Amino acid sequence: MSAVEVIGASKIFNQGKTQQVDALVDVNLTVDQGEFVSLIGPSGCGKSTLLRLIANLLEPTGGSLMVNNKTVSQARLDQDYGMAFQQAGLFDWRTVSKNIELPLELKGWDKEKRSARAAEMLELVKLPEFADLYPWQLSGGMQQRIAIARALAAHPPLLLMDEPFGALDEMTREYMQGELLRICGETATTVVFVTHSIPEAVYLSNRVVVMSPRPGRITSVIDVDLGAKRNEDTRAADGFFRNITAVREALRGTQADHASANAIRGLEDR
Amino acid sequence: MKILTRIKNILVPLSFGVVFLLLWEGAVRVFDLKPYFLAAPSKIFEQFTKNTSRIWDATSVSGTNALVGLIIGTILGIAMSFVLSRFSFLNQLITPLAISLNAIPIFVLVAVLNNMYSITSEIPRRFMVTLVVYFIVLVNVAKGLTQVRSTHVELMHSYAASDIEILRKVRVPNAVPYLFTALKVAAPASVITAFVSEYFGGLQNGLGSRITSNIANSKNAAAWAYVLGACLLGLAFYTVSIILEKITRKGETK
Amino acid sequence: MKFARRAAYRTAMFVVSIFSVVAIWELYKIIGPQDGGKFFGVSVLPRANNTAMPHISTMLSRYSRPEVRGSDKKIWVVVLSGAWFSLRLSLVGFFLGTTIGVGLAILMARFKIVQRGLLPYLVMSQTVPLIALAPLVVSWGGKLEIGSFVWPRWLSASILGTFLAFFPIAVGTLRGLSSAPAAAVELMESYAASWKQTLFKLRFPAAVPFMVPAFKLGASGAVVGVVVAEISTGLKGGIGRLIIEYAREATGDPAKVFTAVFGAAALGLIMAGFVAISDVFFMRNRPKESSI
Repeated sequence: MSAVEVIGASKIFNQGKTQQVDALVDVNLTVDQGEFVSLIGPSGCGKSTLLRLIANLLEPTGGSLMVNNKTVSQARLDQDYGMAFQQAGLFDWRTVSKNIELPLELKGWDKEKRSARAAEMLELVKLPEFADLYPWQLSGGMQQRIAIARALAAHPPLLLMDEPFGALDEMTREYMQGELLRICGETATTVVFVTHSIPEAVYLSNRVVVMSPRPGRITSVIDVDLGAKRNEDTRAADGFFRNITAVREALRGTQADHASANAIRGLEDR
Repeated sequence: MKILTRIKNILVPLSFGVVFLLLWEGAVRVFDLKPYFLAAPSKIFEQFTKNTSRIWDATSVSGTNALVGLIIGTILGIAMSFVLSRFSFLNQLITPLAISLNAIPIFVLVAVLNNMYSITSEIPRRFMVTLVVYFIVLVNVAKGLTQVRSTHVELMHSYAASDIEILRKVRVPNAVPYLFTALKVAAPASVITAFVSEYFGGLQNGLGSRITSNIANSKNAAAWAYVLGACLLGLAFYTVSIILEKITRKGETK
Repeated sequence: MKFARRAAYRTAMFVVSIFSVVAIWELYKIIGPQDGGKFFGVSVLPRANNTAMPHISTMLSRYSRPEVRGSDKKIWVVVLSGAWFSLRLSLVGFFLGTTIGVGLAILMARFKIVQRGLLPYLVMSQTVPLIALAPLVVSWGGKLEIGSFVWPRWLSASILGTFLAFFPIAVGTLRGLSSAPAAAVELMESYAASWKQTLFKLRFPAAVPFMVPAFKLGASGAVVGVVVAEISTGLKGGIGRLIIEYAREATGDPAKVFTAVFGAAALGLIMAGFVAISDVFFMRNRPKESSI
């Protein structure tokens, strides 16, 4: 059973109108259980759109998508996935542990079970002492870790992440990448990860999916042969640079010319 | 696409309004509501067309009071805000006072002003409007003059610009939108104040006094007609302030 | 600690500004013309004599004397009970206004068509002097009967308070409900949360910083509505009526009207105080930099 299955998915915005945008055309992708897959590509290549189709936050205009052998809408109702965004998106008015409890609350868990799980998640992201603080009292990296804890609180088998470390500084970013790999290893979670950064994609992923714009599509899929165990030494290994070069070359030529990249930005910002 | 939204933006509210008026008229007829409770829109309109010239006279009296106060209050408010932006001590002194005045039904001062001038004078009412407008303009424009982006000021400092130049190139342009925000609040407020001031006695020639006297004589449809006049006056003031904003800020992007 | 010091500084500045107003008043009494001044035939300068502008000390000492000669009721008691009466009406108006305003905001946030149809009128209702309706609405008092319920006159005054209070509350709440960031809305969607869950878990908490200033405006609107209703119709019992009555006695007892005017000011400040307290309560766990 594959964790995510995308068969011939398309997404066209403003269909039939003058501002029609072919965000995704005939995309096929299968993600196996426990796999870490990154989506990378220039602005407007539809990587965020693809993630939102998998999350059922957008309806496809064509094709079909399955998560854990269910339709994506059923998977959303069953909470088979957790999601994290570029902005941590924590609620200012809730304490850290109450933020982690939010998805559990919506599922109707009782109070004791919720706070036990929140404590467990805080241990997982190594921030147990911050349970009763408010998110705005934490640094950006800590906030993002809480967001990951929130995404994983219901123990979903799948984690969908939309440039979660995009707003962090380089040092925090590398630390967070290590933490993410550790957490996903411990919880055996499948991850679909959208990013702009080539080293980030290579360091984290089993496979890197390279996409290109106008129309948004998958141009190549690169297997990262760095083995299962990765640590800070990985970043200095020859294999790391070889894989980076492979992704970079796959990305070359997908780059839209400047004018059209601007034209499409309006869509990305939506 | 754009035209369609624009039509929707007009048609939907318009139909809401028509439905509202029909419900009103219908309710008055079906439930036989007494005129002291609600007058029928048709009756109000009839009274309005019948008394147009009298309503116009009353409207122009209240309108003149509002306009005079609005103009003087705006000028004084702008002038004072420049002083405040220059001397931060004065700003700290006056801003809390101005803000707490917002919480107070300040128009009751008309009762005092009436004694400070002769009772047959329009001055107390205009003074009151001036005072209300003055504080609205003062608070907003002072905010616009002082809350400028620090990068802009740093940029000007890097050009070795003088305070006057910073005022002209950064502070004043920054304050313009604040001025119009203030005017959009102050214009209707001036009408309302001019109007409420008439309830405190004195000359009985404005809209406020006419409404009270018509009700006292149980001529409620006529009173509603004067209310309609008052509404049109308020709308006119608001519209003019919006048009002024559009003209002044035509070239700017939003 | 820093916060406390700033609060103390602000209070001090406020006291200084009040004293400045007093000083300007007394200064004008010294240098201003006793019978008013004219410019180009228009009397623009107020009269500085003791009848038109009594000394501040006279105003304050008036509180300790009886309301009318020979009565043993001190005027501060009368003013206080008048302000208390108006305060209760204002509170009724404010709560009705809050209910209607928040209700409308939820409706408008839920149904785009309602927002599109209603919002222009709500905005328009603020540009027109709805307060003109005061005498009309008050004239319902004692005449209007709904079943066995006879409409009391005081309720009309509260309704006018409601009129002026609901709009800022409706608009502020609507703005607040729509202020939830798109990413947070998407997050709730990804949880398959219902509209109601999103409303209570996300939209309302996100709206609080917008609702508090809206409530401030609403509270002062309620006071204005009630006081105008009292003044325009002479409704008995409240501070508005006292101002009108005392203003008529100004030639013989000029300080008297000021006691009631200060009472009205206190009324407004107390209402604002209620909202300020709720502000501190609701915003206690929010980021501090936003509460300038």
